[in-house]
Amino acid sequence: MANVTVFCFLASYLVSGVMEALRLRGKSSFNKLVLRGFALAGLIAHTIYLFNRSQQTSLPPLLSSTHDWLLVLAWLAIVFYIFLTLFDSDLAIGLFLIPIVLALIGSAYFLQQAPNQLVSQEILIKEARHGWAMLHASLLVLGMAGGLVALVLGMMYLTQHRRLRQKQTMKEGLSLPSLGRIARLNWWSVVISVPLLTLGMAVGVGLGLSTQKGDSPLSFTDPVIVTYGIAWLIMIGFFVWLLTTSRSQDRQTASLSIWIFSFLIISVVVLQIISSKLDISSHGPTQTTTSADPLLKEVSE
Amino acid sequence: MNLQVVFCNYHTSPVAVREKLAFSSPEHLQEAYQELQQAFPHSEIVVLSTCNRVELYAAHEEDRSPSYEELAYFFSEFHDIPVSEFQDNLLSEQGEDAVRHLFRVASSVDSMVLGESQIVNQVKDAYRIAQENNACGILTNTLFQHAIKVSSRVRSETKLSEGRVSVASVAVGDFGKSIFERFEDKTVLVIGAGEMAEETLRYLKEEGARKIIVVNRSTERAEMLAMNWGGEVSPWEHLDDVLKKADIVVSTTGATQPVITEDRYRAIRKSTGERPVFLLDLGAPRDISASVGDIDDNIFLYNIDDLEATCDLNRKSRGREVQKANQIITEETALFMQELHHRATGPVVQRLRSQWHEIREEELRRLFNKLPHLSEEDREQIQNSVGRVINKLLHPPLETLREESHSGTPEGLVTALKKLFHIQD
Repeated sequence: MANVTVFCFLASYLVSGVMEALRLRGKSSFNKLVLRGFALAGLIAHTIYLFNRSQQTSLPPLLSSTHDWLLVLAWLAIVFYIFLTLFDSDLAIGLFLIPIVLALIGSAYFLQQAPNQLVSQEILIKEARHGWAMLHASLLVLGMAGGLVALVLGMMYLTQHRRLRQKQTMKEGLSLPSLGRIARLNWWSVVISVPLLTLGMAVGVGLGLSTQKGDSPLSFTDPVIVTYGIAWLIMIGFFVWLLTTSRSQDRQTASLSIWIFSFLIISVVVLQIISSKLDISSHGPTQTTTSADPLLKEVSE
Repeated sequence: MNLQVVFCNYHTSPVAVREKLAFSSPEHLQEAYQELQQAFPHSEIVVLSTCNRVELYAAHEEDRSPSYEELAYFFSEFHDIPVSEFQDNLLSEQGEDAVRHLFRVASSVDSMVLGESQIVNQVKDAYRIAQENNACGILTNTLFQHAIKVSSRVRSETKLSEGRVSVASVAVGDFGKSIFERFEDKTVLVIGAGEMAEETLRYLKEEGARKIIVVNRSTERAEMLAMNWGGEVSPWEHLDDVLKKADIVVSTTGATQPVITEDRYRAIRKSTGERPVFLLDLGAPRDISASVGDIDDNIFLYNIDDLEATCDLNRKSRGREVQKANQIITEETALFMQELHHRATGPVVQRLRSQWHEIREEELRRLFNKLPHLSEEDREQIQNSVGRVINKLLHPPLETLREESHSGTPEGLVTALKKLFHIQD
């Protein structure tokens, strides 16, 4: 169990992804069996890996490093995928979701994963901040997971819409929910994820403010934090638009979900990779300090 | 043992002949069974009468099943039409071919719409009615139960029934259900009152559609359609008003010019907004201008050609499964015939067994009388031992008999067994 690496579950999910793509060529129960088997095997390896990481760092994966944090997000996405395909084995969600999961796990490769000794020791001392940091990271990961679902639903909506407009038959052995159902689920995933992200941001700001009296206060002009802020503002704008506009704008909602949540996920991942490699952020992870969020480093100091 | 079927179906005869030979009502069918039982009292009979086929299965434990001529004469007498009017259309199959024919029919390989599910229910109904009329026996019971089993095997092991193949079912099942999550809260507008409209309404009702509005130039036909499907009628002059309310529009008029033009529908969309609408143009020539579909992204317009393209794809896909289905039918026919032939040897086997067991009982009784000191336990041991000897001796001839049944009733072996062991009929 100790030998489980990122490659183990990345390879399993890759096989599942290939098998999902092969479903476009025709219905095959063998294919379904193989892809489910590999997805499940990947999930088991993924869970063991996160558990091992947690044991090694003595920290929950959400707090130890951005590497682990991204893997938790990918883990949530895979659980969601397996859960849905249990109810509808023909559902074509894997075609959209697995590539994103692979991208998240691939991105995690480029991020620092060495646990920060200071974080683990200091955070344990500062129990109060540890709780808030955990809440901050949890809200952000759940909000991001909701955003990821909205992104996938947006893609499914546009695919189904395009098929119906072009009067094409659905491929044998593949199914997509109705436009009405996808639109409803998309609406709810946005309506749930944006408040979660907002709360996560608010807790993060609170934590940032609490560091101001310390030796190394958090700078709110940090490029990572500024980008998060911009992404959050865009999402709030989308959220308000969604609540005030008519429900017949489902196609626009789907398109906006794709653009906004792609921007959010890509900006978070790319900024973490850049800050990890170039150390451009005074609050991002460094060679010696690797945290799930720029704020977490401050919490530890 | 004899089994045969005389039949006419959509392959062999035009509808004009089929409708003359059909048994159109339950009373008519019951009357037919009474006459058949009078004419052929020792035969088992099952009548299958649908709009695409009329088939009469007859079986007899011995070789005294009614002949083709006798059954043709029955059709002629019962329907009061001369044999010459249908003789060329009435075909017949015997024995294994008759079994294969029923298996093909029940599995929907022989249906006009390949893989349709209605036929197996019709076969089940025919069998049930025959039972109710006391027209079935061991042979027909085994045959029809096996046919239903074969149908279920073909359905589960092939894709013969997958994909919709009628325009209305494709419209609702493949497209309508992909647009709307539910139909209970949708307003269905039917323009025209043709057969297509009725069929589409059936599928929409199955999906839960409740609010139905029918608009037709002839109010009488509109009222009839609305009454049949629990809808309401709206005057033709109010078409624009009801178009504004409708989420689903099914148009099947015989109009030579489009009823819904781009300008007309654009004006309607201005007042309704861009909520999703499902427009089904089942008219020929078209009732809805093709450009209506381009007004906005939430208009989903389908005409007959669009839907037929999907039907064709599904038909081709089903066609590719026929070979697999035929393979299953061939296997099952062989299995059924083997069981049937083996069943024919049953009486001889049973008599042989009972004859040998009678000898065993007699000899054991004699032995136990000579050895009265034997305990119950010893007697039981001896009984079991002799029983095993008899079973072992019987095993090779019975096994050979079973193997020979694969290729037909082993008449030669049965006769030899009868002669060798003095088995009386």
